[in-house]
Amino acid sequence: MRMPALALKRKQWEPWAFASPALFLIGLVIVFPLAYSFYLSLLNFDLAVGPDAEFIGLRNYTEALTRDQRFLESIWNTALIIAPALVLELLLGLAIALLLNRVTHGRPIVTALIAVPAMVSPVMAAMAWRMMYGVKFGAINNLGRQLGIIDVYFDWFSTPWLSILAVVLVDIWHNTPFMMLVLLAGLQSIPQELYQAARVDGASAWQSFWSITLPLLKFTMAVGVMIRMIDLTKIFGLIFILTYGGPGGSTETLAFNTYLVGFKDFRMSYASALSYVIVFGVLILTLIFMRISRQREARAA
Amino acid sequence: MKRLRSATSVALLLVGIAMLGWLAVPDRAPAARPYEGTTIRAVVNAEYVKYSLTLIEKDLYDALGVKIETEVIPADAFVAKTLLEFNSGSSPWDLIMFGPSNMPDYGRHFEPLEPWAAKLKLNFAMDDIVPVFAKVMLRFNGKLVSMPYDGDIHIMYWNKVAFERPENQKKFKAKYNYDLKPPKTWKQWDDASEFFNGWGWDGSQNKLFGAGASYKPSGSGYSYHWWRQRFFAYGGNYFDANMKPLINSPAGVRALEEMVKTIGFYPPGVMLFESEEPKTMLVKGEVPLLHSWTSTGKRVGNPGESVIVGKAGFGIVPGAEIDGKIVHRPAITPGRGMAVSKYSKKIEATMKVLEFISLPEQSLKIVMDAKTIMDPWRVSHLRNDKFRKLFPDADKYLDAIEQSFPLLVPDPVIPAADEYQRKLSFEITEALAKRKSPKDALDTAAKEWDKVTERRGVDKQKAFWGEKLHEMKQLGIEYHPEWAAKAK
Amino acid sequence: MMRRVGDGLTYAGLAVALVFFLGPFFWILTTSLKGNEDFFAYPPVWIPAEPSLSHYVALFTRSSGARYFTNSLVISSLSMFAALAVSLPTAYSIARWKFGGGFLSTLLLVLRMLPAIALIIPIYIMYKMMGLTNSYLGLVALYTVVYIPFAVWLLVGFLRDFPVEIEEAAMIDGCSRLKSLLRVVIPIIAPGLAVVALFAFIATWNEFLFAIVLTGIETKTMMVLVTSFTTGGTDQFYGEASASVVLGVLPAFAVAFFLQRYLVKGLALGGTKG
Repeated sequence: MRMPALALKRKQWEPWAFASPALFLIGLVIVFPLAYSFYLSLLNFDLAVGPDAEFIGLRNYTEALTRDQRFLESIWNTALIIAPALVLELLLGLAIALLLNRVTHGRPIVTALIAVPAMVSPVMAAMAWRMMYGVKFGAINNLGRQLGIIDVYFDWFSTPWLSILAVVLVDIWHNTPFMMLVLLAGLQSIPQELYQAARVDGASAWQSFWSITLPLLKFTMAVGVMIRMIDLTKIFGLIFILTYGGPGGSTETLAFNTYLVGFKDFRMSYASALSYVIVFGVLILTLIFMRISRQREARAA
Repeated sequence: MKRLRSATSVALLLVGIAMLGWLAVPDRAPAARPYEGTTIRAVVNAEYVKYSLTLIEKDLYDALGVKIETEVIPADAFVAKTLLEFNSGSSPWDLIMFGPSNMPDYGRHFEPLEPWAAKLKLNFAMDDIVPVFAKVMLRFNGKLVSMPYDGDIHIMYWNKVAFERPENQKKFKAKYNYDLKPPKTWKQWDDASEFFNGWGWDGSQNKLFGAGASYKPSGSGYSYHWWRQRFFAYGGNYFDANMKPLINSPAGVRALEEMVKTIGFYPPGVMLFESEEPKTMLVKGEVPLLHSWTSTGKRVGNPGESVIVGKAGFGIVPGAEIDGKIVHRPAITPGRGMAVSKYSKKIEATMKVLEFISLPEQSLKIVMDAKTIMDPWRVSHLRNDKFRKLFPDADKYLDAIEQSFPLLVPDPVIPAADEYQRKLSFEITEALAKRKSPKDALDTAAKEWDKVTERRGVDKQKAFWGEKLHEMKQLGIEYHPEWAAKAK
Repeated sequence: MMRRVGDGLTYAGLAVALVFFLGPFFWILTTSLKGNEDFFAYPPVWIPAEPSLSHYVALFTRSSGARYFTNSLVISSLSMFAALAVSLPTAYSIARWKFGGGFLSTLLLVLRMLPAIALIIPIYIMYKMMGLTNSYLGLVALYTVVYIPFAVWLLVGFLRDFPVEIEEAAMIDGCSRLKSLLRVVIPIIAPGLAVVALFAFIATWNEFLFAIVLTGIETKTMMVLVTSFTTGGTDQFYGEASASVVLGVLPAFAVAFFLQRYLVKGLALGGTKG
């Protein structure tokens, strides 16, 4: 005889009791600081000048968005890094996922190996590549000279454009595996019958790819791209170790500039405002992106 | 009876001698070390400095029983992190290494030395400190709060092979119409770096480079030092008496334009070079010219890594020819000092440690070692026989340093010095990276300087700067707007 | 035939991918074992003839690498346990009782979008006032909380798969809910717990921004140690720099092997971001 679900009858307080430690901690360590940070952004607290601060309303925000050349440039620099990185990570990730999907033996081990770069800290990735980019003793220059591709030492950070390229390359190495894994999961959820049916109808591999794989992968791709985009706007450790924002200010990204303002100039209030601008910016980007992909889906349906 | 008496006298005599002997022989066991078991915490901004402290740690322990535990905060974060700690009223460190140009921001957190010197009878050998360092590195609000640790200045180094090869001299004369000699003016420096770039001036087939420099914007920014020495030679100064920045005056623009025009003659990677890379290139014979910190000299003379031992020249940094005379303006860049934190719980022990590491013999060990990049700051360092014979031409090296002393230009030692320097270095590297014109870069820097001055309080800054302006005037350094155009 | 060519290209392509993604690790590893003559040599010496561990020794002794490695281990382990301890009950209440509705997904999204820089400024000021900078507690507390939403998300998945009947049976036998959770549920979803724990470990091991701001000489982590080799150029301290990278990426290799199946979930939720 089946017992009634008496054991499952929930006492009103139980869910709360179970969840309360987490809720309490989240409130203390995340919600409260965020609120405090917003409050700070409305003051002019500057640790270098002294402990006193006065309320100045939204002045920090207007300054950041209209008068702070360096901050506006950091937005541009971040965009310059995000665009090629996103596109290339998507393409490369897709290519590798497609290849992996065809492999039957040993796929788990190869997947795991390729996934490793995505699991190391961006700081480690940057340090490894920084040494590889080394002008005199780095792996890339040494290899290039040995293969005869270059004849003198090549400096990857000699011009702003080259530096951005160098940063993008490291990010691609670091994060393509993630994109690949997401896409691979998406690929594996496409029913095989669709491909079989297409082959019966005489479709070539290319046609199957274009009319079956891509459309069914769209949602997965969108998710992957969105997650990467959000992460790319926060890029920090990579810049810190690889270029420190240089040469000049060409690789100074949003988060890095905010860090300099807060922890080198000690302008805590202004830095808080900057970080909120970043948060709002990311929020808007995400909403735009979601709207676009929903529109696309509606049209495709 | 007689035998007993003589035996007793002999015995007494022996005992007497034994007693005398026991009193005369020094104690086998060492006297208890006064601070046995104490560990004090030091904070420094580079592994090199930590290494330098290890050179004296054994002697320190033998003398005082004190051990030093050193934390390294990389130069990038050093000022920020240490000041953040101090400004909130505490610090985990007892002994602080700091950059003297930041004294106005640090000074109020340091424990004055004189009361303790009187109490503990400390001897800092003040007369032995090179006067210009004594002026710049020791005092806050008139009180003595620190001792020098590293006497950073810039001098010029050149590769004799490059300058003395007859073929080189012929080629140079043909192209530039004057004799090839180690440059005395910036124009000559730029000509030489252009001349030497891109071929084997040492007689080999290698593609070598024209000159060395460091331009990375990390820490407080390196490019500022390279720019500054031209800027001041062309008559510049940091601010006028009203705190208006003068960095974007024609002298500054000219200095930066020259740097931008000649950057092609410097090795690839120069935009992100920190202090050591160009030194390595110099001692490996890849650049013939470098003006850089005095620690370079020790690397030049180190046969373990240098190929130019005995083949290097040392001199004063180039200047500008004004009305027939050459004006040199080498920079203090910026050196390091050591101070005791006011918030330390072991002030007495730390004072003794500070005295110890500042002793002429101990500090000599530090500044003589090639791996420490610490530089001489005592007169006795410069005159020390062992140092003068440490490597071929070491005496000429030390003389060049001494000759530079009267000409040195200090940093703007006012509050927010670190910020001024950083903002300026950033803009200089923007121009060097060709992202802005030199004029735009310096104008932006001047605007940033105004913003910093405003945030700190214009009147406060004016007061601090007024003092420094006066000091510099006494050293003969003043703003000369007309020099920029006529300097040769 | 076409199939053969296709296969050939596939394997070739994957081989190139493997070289690209693993090559840098290989180079860093061999560099960390090279002596001065090998590192500064041209033509370049790719694999040292006489590999030596002297750089690791130097890292562990002179650069205090042993202490920082221990710090990273301790901090990551503590955060891992704490996150689990707090997240499991929360996940339980969501899985069993649908606690909070869509609140969890919103929280997750918010946290995903939040740049660490937005949190670190107020946290730094708060910690300064409470004396929590340079303490294990401060960093562990922060890491634990930041990781809770991801841990909860993963655990909810595992708990949802867990058959309720077994729990019911235990409770009928007289166990309280809590006891049943401890005695029955946990042992069975232990693999899931291990997954979450390992991801938490790696995420905290990799974390950088909070670490450089909030640690001091006693609590510095491996990630912060790496920054001391960027000053002065990586040529001078190439040995210690590469050795510290090798040590810093060890957990990644370990986790990649143990958690192959869960990599997508973990990475997608930012479970390993630093």
